[in-house]
Amino acid sequence: MLKQFIEALGKVGGQAAEVATVREAAAYIAGHVTGTLLLPSQPSLERVALAVELETAGVKVIKESWREHAASANAGVTGVNFALADTGTVVLDSTVEAVRLATTLPELHFALLDPGKILVDSLAAIPYLRGFHERAPRNYLAYITGPSRTADIERVLTIGVHGPRQLHVLLLPGLSTDYYEL
Amino acid sequence: MSRERNRNYRQRVDEALASPRLQQALHSFGDAYVVARQNAFAGLDFEAMRSEIGSMKDRVREQRHELVAEFTRNAEAAGAKVFLARTADEANRYIAELAAAQGVKKVVKSKSMASEETHLNRTLEASGIETLETDLGEWIIQLAGQRPSHMVMPAIHMFRDEVATLFSKVTGQPEADDIPHLVKVAREQLRQGYFEAEMGISGANMAIAETGGIALITNEGNARLATTLPKVHVALVGLEKLVPTLEDATKVMRILPRNATGQLLTSYVTWIRGAVPCGEDDKELHIILLDNGRSALAESPQCRDALRCIKCGACANVCPVYQTVGGHVFGHIYISAIGVILTAFFHGLENAADLVKACIGCRACVAVCPSDIDLEGIILHLREVLGEEEGVGAGKALVFKHIMRNRKLFHSMIRAASLLQKPVTRGERSIRHLPLFFSSLTEWRTLPAIADKPLRDSWKSLPQKVQSPRYRVAFFAGCLNDFVYPEMGNDLVKVLNRLDVEVLFPKEQNCCGVPALYSGDRETAVALAEQNITAMLADQPDFVVTTCPTCTMSLQRDFIELLKDNPVWAEKARQLAEITIDVSRFIVDKLDGKTVFAEDPVGEKVTYHDSCHLKRGAGVWEQPRTLLAGSGREVVEMAHSDRCCGFGGSYSFTSHPDIAKHILNDKVKDIEATGASCVAMDCPGCIMQIRGGLEKQEKPVRAKHTIELLAESLK
Repeated sequence: MLKQFIEALGKVGGQAAEVATVREAAAYIAGHVTGTLLLPSQPSLERVALAVELETAGVKVIKESWREHAASANAGVTGVNFALADTGTVVLDSTVEAVRLATTLPELHFALLDPGKILVDSLAAIPYLRGFHERAPRNYLAYITGPSRTADIERVLTIGVHGPRQLHVLLLPGLSTDYYEL
Repeated sequence: MSRERNRNYRQRVDEALASPRLQQALHSFGDAYVVARQNAFAGLDFEAMRSEIGSMKDRVREQRHELVAEFTRNAEAAGAKVFLARTADEANRYIAELAAAQGVKKVVKSKSMASEETHLNRTLEASGIETLETDLGEWIIQLAGQRPSHMVMPAIHMFRDEVATLFSKVTGQPEADDIPHLVKVAREQLRQGYFEAEMGISGANMAIAETGGIALITNEGNARLATTLPKVHVALVGLEKLVPTLEDATKVMRILPRNATGQLLTSYVTWIRGAVPCGEDDKELHIILLDNGRSALAESPQCRDALRCIKCGACANVCPVYQTVGGHVFGHIYISAIGVILTAFFHGLENAADLVKACIGCRACVAVCPSDIDLEGIILHLREVLGEEEGVGAGKALVFKHIMRNRKLFHSMIRAASLLQKPVTRGERSIRHLPLFFSSLTEWRTLPAIADKPLRDSWKSLPQKVQSPRYRVAFFAGCLNDFVYPEMGNDLVKVLNRLDVEVLFPKEQNCCGVPALYSGDRETAVALAEQNITAMLADQPDFVVTTCPTCTMSLQRDFIELLKDNPVWAEKARQLAEITIDVSRFIVDKLDGKTVFAEDPVGEKVTYHDSCHLKRGAGVWEQPRTLLAGSGREVVEMAHSDRCCGFGGSYSFTSHPDIAKHILNDKVKDIEATGASCVAMDCPGCIMQIRGGLEKQEKPVRAKHTIELLAESLK
């Protein structure tokens, strides 16, 4: 399933990287970021102290007042609730506004996924989709499949329009087993 | 009919036909689409998927009042406000008043066909509110002051140099016509808008009753910005977007991108329920459910299947008319086949009148529709309605009502015409030039002469040598086979006799009624159906065999529909439909007749043209190829073998000869590219068109009916 996910993600222009530790993840991110980075509060990423690792690696991390910094940020980092293997999709509960800001405005989006949380396809995701709706009264849920794209001029596929130009999915084992946790 | 309207329409047709760049772009898009779509559905059962969508959408239509109530209840429980707008005007007013109340000066919009339908931008701008389209294609056409020419790719008709000119005006500096650069310019220019706007307006691909949420299926990411940054979010949603459950929504999500653009999934699917956080506060979410003709559509038994549409745009992608003239001609706000129908209900029959006639009836759209809508069938019905409202034209009315219905009169007039044509045919079988004001008819194709002796008059002298027939079949010849190509009938008898089948020719058979029906004269079509049923069933044949797939569809499908409410005729129509079969399928499926044909000594290279009504109407395409290959011919496939040849009956004579000519030229090019010396087909209409085009362009390729080639190959 992991192999299928990585392959599908590659086909839609996303990049997958397998990392063994949070430090490796932070190093990977640091190697790509050229400006500030939005880091919304998320349980899984807080548990592994990603912010500290990123700062140690020299990244300027925005940990609050995201709206103020959103327009000028170069990257956003989020966890992933779970992924879909057949289409290379990552599913993010984006009800918290900072998650939306971090995944819409910056040019780079880094998504940290526990490779244990991959479902076969969108049909298998329906119980979780319903679960989100049962757990919270209001929801903003995102299925993200590759970077933003357009073919609106002469049908020529161009990657990166209004949303991120790059989507990096970092596969970090042991990050989270909870499908409802970002 | 409004002459002014028709004149404008004709002018748009001419302009589009004079734009080869547009045609080339739409053709190559169509080619790429077919491949991408096929890959996207690999391993999936499209037929099963679309039948699920179709029946789910039918349930939605039947239970729409309950579902609206359920959706509203759940959305409001999540903090949204729901407004049911009966008309476009009500929807626009609601939004304009909301904007005024909130002190909105600027609105960012993500792509919404519903807002195009209601002309929302005009209303907002009239109220002094700046509206900014943020979908790249929508922004381009907003800058150009145009309307979308495709539902999914609104600016598909524009080119990079035109976009560069538009963008240069915005930035005040020359912008290079390099696509990645232009996309970057759009990103930068629109970015500030999301922060400045006090209101974001989106459409929705689904409104889910179970949750009270909406879902957006997008690629660019602008919809996510427009629904996140501004304080107020307004979603304008057509009532047909309702789905009962998350399962249903997921099914739509699985089929829509695959069928729209050949993507397994778009970059973003966004599920929004209720007033989600926005800055320090909660967002204000208004959902407007738009009726604007949808309830009327739901009440029309003949047209209501159009409400199944999920707006994928595939019917345009495969449409030969769309590929020839584009969506600014073949569309009003909604374009292509579905656009014809939606225009009639959302924007009035007046605006749909020309479009209803622009459909050539090839059913390419029906084959790819993800909601299993018989688009062509509905358009035909609208043509009937229009025929009743506006008349079918005085000349046609005379022919249909007073001549065709009287078989003897009709047939004696054709015989008379065969004599009258002598001065122009000079005894030849093809007419290459016509004098005076008829000359345009033979400008781009030769026309066949009417035969000296129709098939019906020579039938008695046709020797039939069948000792103990396996079957007795009645031959339904259709007008072309009977009066123009009687030799096909002779060949049919030869081949079927050889296979121990006796062929009868019921003399009382008349025109199948398609010309009348397709022109909107249902009454004449009904009269002809009754005449033909009586004639064809009289001798109690085992089968009714045809050489014309349009006649086949008429006997199999249209007669049943035309007579369904008549208890005397409905059962007979069903009987006739059951035993009607086209000749290639008859030979392969019922006679297993491959064995009587000798190997063609030369192994002639033959390419096969799939006639629209044979492949997509009767589902026959393998059998003729089997027969041709079985008789030792080398069958080579042409590109777009099942693309319409542009005949379409009166379409290529009176209604749209200019478009028909372009479609024919595409076909001739595809045939020529195979290097075949013969193109086979199973339709006398296609033969008239394709042979006419090949002859006019002096191509060394013969166009033959499969039955003629088989007769050549009899042992």
